Amino acid sequence: MKIETTGRHFREAYRGIMKNSWMSFAAMGTVAVTLLIFGVFLIFAFNINYLTKELDKQLAVRASLQDGTPAAKQVEILNKLKQNPLVKTADLVPKDKGLEEMKKSWGDANFIEGLKSGDQNPLPDIIRLEPKDPKKVKQLEAEAKKISGIVAADSGGGVTQTLLGFSGVVRNVILIFGLALSVLAAFLISNTIKLTIIARRKEIEVMRLVGASNWFIRWPFFIEGAFIGITGAILPIGILLILYQAFYNTINSGAAYTVIQMMPVTSLGSYLAVSTFILGAIIGIFGSVLSVRKFLKI
Amino acid sequence: MESFREIPDYLSLVIGKIANDKRCAKTEGDFMIEMHDVWKVYPNGIEALRGIDVKVDQGEFVYIVGPSGAGKSSFIKLMYREEKPTHGVVLINGVNVKRVRDWKIPYVRRRIGVVFQDYKLLPHLSAYENVAFAMEAVETPKREMRPRVQEVLELVGLGDRMKALPSQLSGGEQQRVSIARAIVNNPTFIIADEPTGNLDPENSWDIMYLLEEINARGTTVVMATHNKEIVNTMRQRVIAIEQGVIVRDELEGEYGYED
Repeated sequence: MKIETTGRHFREAYRGIMKNSWMSFAAMGTVAVTLLIFGVFLIFAFNINYLTKELDKQLAVRASLQDGTPAAKQVEILNKLKQNPLVKTADLVPKDKGLEEMKKSWGDANFIEGLKSGDQNPLPDIIRLEPKDPKKVKQLEAEAKKISGIVAADSGGGVTQTLLGFSGVVRNVILIFGLALSVLAAFLISNTIKLTIIARRKEIEVMRLVGASNWFIRWPFFIEGAFIGITGAILPIGILLILYQAFYNTINSGAAYTVIQMMPVTSLGSYLAVSTFILGAIIGIFGSVLSVRKFLKI
Repeated sequence: MESFREIPDYLSLVIGKIANDKRCAKTEGDFMIEMHDVWKVYPNGIEALRGIDVKVDQGEFVYIVGPSGAGKSSFIKLMYREEKPTHGVVLINGVNVKRVRDWKIPYVRRRIGVVFQDYKLLPHLSAYENVAFAMEAVETPKREMRPRVQEVLELVGLGDRMKALPSQLSGGEQQRVSIARAIVNNPTFIIADEPTGNLDPENSWDIMYLLEEINARGTTVVMATHNKEIVNTMRQRVIAIEQGVIVRDELEGEYGYED
């Protein structure tokens, strides 16, 4: 396609939008609502993905040693675990160090300090095991339990699984809503394009007669649809990013311990914007294709 | 003296025979338009054309005549591939239009100019823009457009009315714009479907002189008409269609009907 012709297609697309400005505006609105819902889905999906990766990174079996195990025995158990093929790393975390880490992660040092009764540290000495394969964490947990001197082994994997399972259901519900609305938005765009086709039927007839190629006739309608889709994406991207930023700040402010690790706005923003724009364009072009196939006789 | 009076008739017969012989010497596929046993049956069962066989050569001027509903429009539509033949072969510039792929049809049409009774001009575009539109649609570079559009508008006698909208032009002038649009891309032939149907006699003649001039420059013209006076005066090849069949094909024919 020549540059001159491309410019002409964009001009014609703009003319089509302005000619049916109200219909175009309505279609943009529907796209905006659709993409708002889709955006929520995307944020959810991106965060679940992020969270899964983060949790996998942190996934570890905490093997508690029997209270009063002598240091030599502790090293013996540690070496035994290091030889296990499922283990990537194994670290001994004495109870004092464990308390320090807990203080850091909870933020509220006084609350943790209150757990101590006198000089007594309620935490056991533990060995932290990082599995080679996060999926085999339960197997590692079971094997660690078998070793004498280890009283308990826990990966907290159950909580993660429950959390991911619940998120999956929510994600699917949002996805179904989003898809249904996308179809609706595509039909509305298709209707707008249909109006343009009807308004331009004389021009199309003349173009056909003088031998305009099929793509020459179709391009402005596809551009019009894509433009409606992309313009409809601007508002939801803005709204979603502002709301996400506010939510992110609320979750991460204060000293509260948080289980939910949210994706930072800076990295989510670009993913969300690009995905939403692409989605808007796809909905728009799909709407145009529907109309062009049905009403544009070439 | 009697024999002298017969000379013009004799000459026209000789010229007609030479033209006919020339056409007969050509082989299949050499003609600009060829139809072999062409049938057009619409989905409602109406047989618009029944076994049409015809050849039109480069530079010819052909009138298509016949009563309303005889199949003239179907015949014309087959030529610019608006319709496909139900049976038979239609060759346009050597291309079998029935077999040509859909995406290639525009390229077949670029070599054909079409003129209609109702002009089919775009009302929001000026005379210049209407003609330029046809060049733009086939992606002609802008720098080539201006001189060519001006040239054809001057050829049709509208050099001074380029900026006028169709609503500011008379019927005859609008048809001239339509002809300018039809010839601007240098087609090998022009199909005119009753181009004088909406015009008064004076404007009709102007249009006919214009088509004659275009024909004299080497462009084939195929024109469907109901205008008895024009056909009988201009004396060109006449193909008469009745009930979907060619009933007459004369080199210097007459209209042959009373309407």
